[in-house]
Amino acid sequence: MSTRSAAPAAPPAAAPSLTPVFVRLKLSLLRNGLRQSTGRTLAYVASVVVGLLFAAGAMAGLIALRGNAHIGSLAVLLTGIVTLGWAVMPLFFPTGDETLDPTRLVMLPLRPRSLIVSLLTASLIGIGPVFTVALVTGSVIAVADGPVAAVVGVLAAILVVLVCVSLARAVATASVRLLTSRRGRDLAVLGGLFIAIGAQGVNIAATKLGRPDGLSALEPVGEVLRWVPPASAISAVQDAGQGAYGRAVAGLALTALALALLLWWWQRTLTTVMTSPDSSTLQAAGKDSGRSSQPGDRGLARLLPGGRTGPVMLRMMRYAWRDPKTKMAWAMAIGVGLMVPVVSSLQGNGTIYTSFSASALLGMQMYNQFGQDTSAFWMVASTISTPRDAYLELRARAFTLALVAVPFVTVVVAGTAAFIGPWSDFLEVYGLSLALLGALLATGALASALFPYSIPSEGNKNVAPGQGSIAWFSLFGGIVVGSLLSSPMLALTLWLHLADLHGLLWILLPVGAVYGVLIAQLGLRVAAPRVARRLPEILQAVSKG
Amino acid sequence: MANEPEHIGQRSESAPPENGAATSQGEPQGASRGDAVQGGATAAGGGAAAGPPAVRIQGLWKKFGDQIAVNGIDLTLPAGRFIGLVGPNGAGKTTTLSMVTGLLRPDAGVVEIGGHDVWRDPVAVKSRIGVLPEGLRLFERLSGRELLGYMGRLRGLPGDEVDKRAGQLLDVLDLAGSQNKLVVDYSTGMRKKIGLAAALLHNPEILFLDEPFEGVDPVSAQTIRGVLERYTGSGATVIFSSHVMELVESLCDWVAVMAGGRIRADGPIAQVRGDAPSLQNAFLELVGAQGRGAGQNLDWLGGGAR
Repeated sequence: MSTRSAAPAAPPAAAPSLTPVFVRLKLSLLRNGLRQSTGRTLAYVASVVVGLLFAAGAMAGLIALRGNAHIGSLAVLLTGIVTLGWAVMPLFFPTGDETLDPTRLVMLPLRPRSLIVSLLTASLIGIGPVFTVALVTGSVIAVADGPVAAVVGVLAAILVVLVCVSLARAVATASVRLLTSRRGRDLAVLGGLFIAIGAQGVNIAATKLGRPDGLSALEPVGEVLRWVPPASAISAVQDAGQGAYGRAVAGLALTALALALLLWWWQRTLTTVMTSPDSSTLQAAGKDSGRSSQPGDRGLARLLPGGRTGPVMLRMMRYAWRDPKTKMAWAMAIGVGLMVPVVSSLQGNGTIYTSFSASALLGMQMYNQFGQDTSAFWMVASTISTPRDAYLELRARAFTLALVAVPFVTVVVAGTAAFIGPWSDFLEVYGLSLALLGALLATGALASALFPYSIPSEGNKNVAPGQGSIAWFSLFGGIVVGSLLSSPMLALTLWLHLADLHGLLWILLPVGAVYGVLIAQLGLRVAAPRVARRLPEILQAVSKG
Repeated sequence: MANEPEHIGQRSESAPPENGAATSQGEPQGASRGDAVQGGATAAGGGAAAGPPAVRIQGLWKKFGDQIAVNGIDLTLPAGRFIGLVGPNGAGKTTTLSMVTGLLRPDAGVVEIGGHDVWRDPVAVKSRIGVLPEGLRLFERLSGRELLGYMGRLRGLPGDEVDKRAGQLLDVLDLAGSQNKLVVDYSTGMRKKIGLAAALLHNPEILFLDEPFEGVDPVSAQTIRGVLERYTGSGATVIFSSHVMELVESLCDWVAVMAGGRIRADGPIAQVRGDAPSLQNAFLELVGAQGRGAGQNLDWLGGGAR
């Protein structure tokens, strides 16, 4: 009862500042995220260390390049890339920062203007901002020359960091509708693909820039970017050092203007998001917006065989298109399978044997078949009562893979033969590829039965926590066994070469194709009774996460 | 399947369940259905009241780590009844149903469905049962109609028959308007209904439903109820888990009460209720949670100064 008198005080005259509250919220979220498991703490600490090392390295590298003729362009380009990163990050990692989601604050009596300042301050905490500060500081030091440039540089560094952070915030707020909807989450899963492609781009760019005088390639890009905020602030530092004060002021002003515009846009979208109905309400009021029964689809579906095989294949194909995780796995397999021969031929050291990547990557799609079903596997499990059912299920899945893999392997091997050559090796490599594909289908079926693991449907992870070793064992062991299984074909090839029977190398194609079919068939036969026996165990393994 | 489930469900909650009549009805049908029916594609509904019990469980036992989820259950459930498996959260209902339906391997014990061992004779069992599990997903990237088409064909039914049945089920369950929408965009009630449709598609003798009314709005709940009552009316068996006693009392003619991984009571509903004023009271007494009211510590709640 005594506490009662303390509670009902009238609303304080001046509302306390929100900023410390949000800063504490951010820190608590970070801390609690780490408290969940030691593994996560270790991962976080490791990523911090790596991030800091990388930032320090980049900073040191930039400072070491001070005085280089092209350093201005490089610094401007780096700033541009970092800004781009900040802009797209909330789209691909929407769950990365919970304070980024303004819809969580909707129920609180908060004004957008005070909210913006607090949120901005809170988002300056984290590895991302530290990394950005390091990089921007490095860039500024690298291009600054003289006391005026130093002053401009401090201003520029602050402006760039603020622009980056508020850009991320504004983009996140503007796209929160998209990100909290199902379609948005689907898109986020595909984020990994963009990162993989981006990494390839960086890889190629780095090798180009690494050549002597490679930096001069940056000049035209730098010329454009130097007027794009926030990179214009960095070029302003250089201009100030060279005495071009007018250009320096213009560069700084452009960035400041961009910051003001961003904050204004952010405040506007924040107000809209916090005062209008969210997607769940809109969706409930919506109509049957689904796909009407597509006549074309039905026509193609009619070509599929009856019984269990057709429906399973149709479901697999629908999932390959509609399920983001499955789509991503297919895109990765096809993309990387193509990329390996293409990249190696661009680098000039390609052989026709790089086209094995096509059958290797597509064959690996057979691994963890039931994990791809997630816990919906119970629907499959409840219709499998004999090894024959399991065999038909596995065979239908292998058929679906082969339906894509065989034409794809054909195209890649033929393309590699055409561009890298020689054509004389085409039949041999094609035959070996088909044998490898069959071997991987066989081991994949067996691994699906013996080492199933969950694929979490949200986020970028492909293995549920605690099942990483199963996944590695399944894939790695499978590849070793798959290679062993194709070794008879390899032995035959070697023998034909060593015995100087080059005229007979063409038989590798029919032999390889037949061998592939037989070994895949054998694998399915061996795996099927194990699947039928282990249904509850498989279901349990694929239902985690 | 006709399209008017609405005529059912108007009786008062305390009246004795109509389905009691189903036991006597079920007998001739059960004889025609018998033991030898394989494949589950038979058109007639009905359970074998005179034959073996719907479910016979002996010494069923399951442990997860240190926690014993199901602690030696012996239970016989008669055919042709509407049976409720009730218990508080964490009582082991889901674990039990998963083991009975062959989705989870027990550590020990025997489960027979219609006289067939679930683990030794899956062919006879899987075609006879329909399952709607709780906490497991559906193939959500299919539309409602595609999901039913897929499941029916996986069950070995001819394609035309599957499409006909799917259309009727979608109509009766009030899903026809959303049949082309992906299941991932369905609400909880719609998911339960499409799951129920998938479980009924092959006209099973025994239907196992884990929390079919959980998170379902009253309209969908009434639809589900109507379909289930029609289904048991034809002599089939429904076994469903729930912790809503009023629902169980109004729907079921047989209950099994579970708590702490054991069966505390089972039998016809009147017998389990005993002298207690309602099943709710009888249940609270059985699980030993009677008289745990709100304490004195919340005296500041409501009224007076804030």
